[in-house]
Amino acid sequence: MSNYYEEISQNVITGQLDRVKQLTQQAIDAGNDPVEIINQGLILGMSVVGARFKSGQMFVPEVLMSARSMTAGMDMVKPLILSEDIPSAGKVVIGTVKGDLHDIGKNLVSMMLESAGYTTINVGVDAGPEKFLQAVKEHKPNIIAMSALLTTTMLSMKDTIELLKEEGLRDKVLVIIGGAPISQDFADEIGADGFAPDAGSATDLCKKLLA
Amino acid sequence: MPVKSNYVENTSPMFSILSPSQCEEILLAAQEVLERTGVTVHDEEARDILKKAGCWVDGILVRIPSAVVDRALRSVPKRVTLCNNRTGSRDVHLEGYNAYFGTGSDTPFTIDPYTGKRQRSTKKSVSNACKVIDALPNLDFVMSLGIVQDVPLLISDRHQFEAQVLNTSKPIVTTAHDIYGFADIIEMCEIMAGGVEELRRNPFMTLYAEPISPLQHAWEAASKLILAARKGLPVVYTPCVMAGGTVPATMAGVLTQGLAESLSGLVINQSTREGSPFIMGGVFTIMDMSSTIFSYGSPEFNLLMSSLADLAHYLKLPMFGTAGCSDSNLVDEQAGIEAALSIAMTALSGPNLNHDVGYIEYGSTSSLEFLAINNDVIGMARRLVRGIKVNDETLALDIIHKIGPGGHFLSEDHTMKNFKTETYYPSLIDRQRYESWLESGSKTLFERANEKVKDIIENYEPDPLPKDVQQKIRAIVERSEQKVVKS
Repeated sequence: MSNYYEEISQNVITGQLDRVKQLTQQAIDAGNDPVEIINQGLILGMSVVGARFKSGQMFVPEVLMSARSMTAGMDMVKPLILSEDIPSAGKVVIGTVKGDLHDIGKNLVSMMLESAGYTTINVGVDAGPEKFLQAVKEHKPNIIAMSALLTTTMLSMKDTIELLKEEGLRDKVLVIIGGAPISQDFADEIGADGFAPDAGSATDLCKKLLA
Repeated sequence: MPVKSNYVENTSPMFSILSPSQCEEILLAAQEVLERTGVTVHDEEARDILKKAGCWVDGILVRIPSAVVDRALRSVPKRVTLCNNRTGSRDVHLEGYNAYFGTGSDTPFTIDPYTGKRQRSTKKSVSNACKVIDALPNLDFVMSLGIVQDVPLLISDRHQFEAQVLNTSKPIVTTAHDIYGFADIIEMCEIMAGGVEELRRNPFMTLYAEPISPLQHAWEAASKLILAARKGLPVVYTPCVMAGGTVPATMAGVLTQGLAESLSGLVINQSTREGSPFIMGGVFTIMDMSSTIFSYGSPEFNLLMSSLADLAHYLKLPMFGTAGCSDSNLVDEQAGIEAALSIAMTALSGPNLNHDVGYIEYGSTSSLEFLAINNDVIGMARRLVRGIKVNDETLALDIIHKIGPGGHFLSEDHTMKNFKTETYYPSLIDRQRYESWLESGSKTLFERANEKVKDIIENYEPDPLPKDVQQKIRAIVERSEQKVVKS
């Protein structure tokens, strides 16, 4: 009898949300191990999606549709397992910095991270150092990710890093930054742990930093 | 003389994407977006102004009844004139189908013509860029081609403007961080013009501001629209939208939402002071769904810019367009293809104030060589748009008869009289014979452009600003620096 994993994985890749839900339910009903459903079905499919996006064979909306399908399956399986057994690649607090309302880039990064298995806490736009600090205290993330579109607002990234230092939290969390005016040089200058030029690279960067 | 009836003359090529009926439908759809969905306005003063104008304000959400948009469309001037910043000569007439070309402003990076390396733009790089723009005959106006980043960033806009006015006399489209930066820049302009009223009568500067898509006016943007109206100075308001990302994936959806963003900016501006000069912008394009870039070279970008021009003409609004730019990371064949296509389509469509000539890397980097090459492309496009004159002189029946079968036209007065006006001679495009090209060093177009740019930087002298004016401008820059240091 099929354990449904292959079929779940295929339907995650093609972004068939309803079919993924149906198959996940069937897999649960057939008595499959919930952690295996996640790892060998849902996440396996999503990792194929990640690789295809990177090589230019899949586009952003398709990736997001796959991610939605995966999440729908996850939501069905999660209640059946202990929270510490739920696979998560890491936790990322993400936001656009103070004085800046531009959020499409930040949202893209957030969605791509989620589709790669990260848990994200989105603090929204116009997020000053205090807001990031509060989120770090509350959620204890592995990484905070800051975005800015303007040369004037990117200065706020440094303020956040300084505040984390003052609060003695800088070595508890990794800091990554991105946005049109950001470069590796700027990241080095303000003491960030990394810079990524786009959403796909941001995911790779998180993987590298948490490896 | 014969009588000629039913004779139709094209004095230029005829080109459009949208019909008047389609323009009307998109306008009505944009008005429905404003009345039904509304926009957020992150500025209390702007919300008060909008409320008084008859808009429905709920918290930061503002819905705009169609009658308010119609009123703004009636009060906005159909034409804006921009002047030479030294002489006040009224050179740039933003009206009808007149298409002018200029550079773009806020790239974080630029290619150094001496090292070929991509570096952060500086006051020096902006100064050099403005010199080059000033020297190139087909560039009609200036944007800085880089953000000045080697000065305190919070007041870099004042330095950026100073670098521009010292190095060019062409009209300037300028960015400013906020209304304080804008106010300092206006003060510099008033000194140059010789007074508040003089600047308003013959403006040589227009401010650039943009909403944030989808459908948001940040404090910086709304307050700039208000200040420009109070000062009676022109403002460019330009939504930068990407299909599938910040606007719908369908081209008509892009136009509808983008237009709604522009029109709501127009309403803020006109409700502050009716009759204020306003230039409708819009960089409408796609998000590339593979790399996620904001594309400056896709066919959809060109299609959207030309159709926005159709809308601007339909609405009788001066328009700020975009051309001569590329997604390519260097000045290569791709850059040439994309720039040529956008410049040609822009020239054919007739949006008025067309910026971003010289942008590569999807608007992140500027290149002076690319700018110099595009100077030729603009010349070629202008020739295309001049079309073909058909009359007794140009039909040239007498001269055809005189030469007859065999013979040649080279030494005819008719040839002498017409060849220069009928043909365009580019400066960098190469039409040498093979041997001459070898003898002149077998140079590529890029190499010739690089030489030209370096020659301008080293040898060209822009018209100087009077010393006392220079000092007064310097004083304003220094004053802003003091304030930042203190705070």
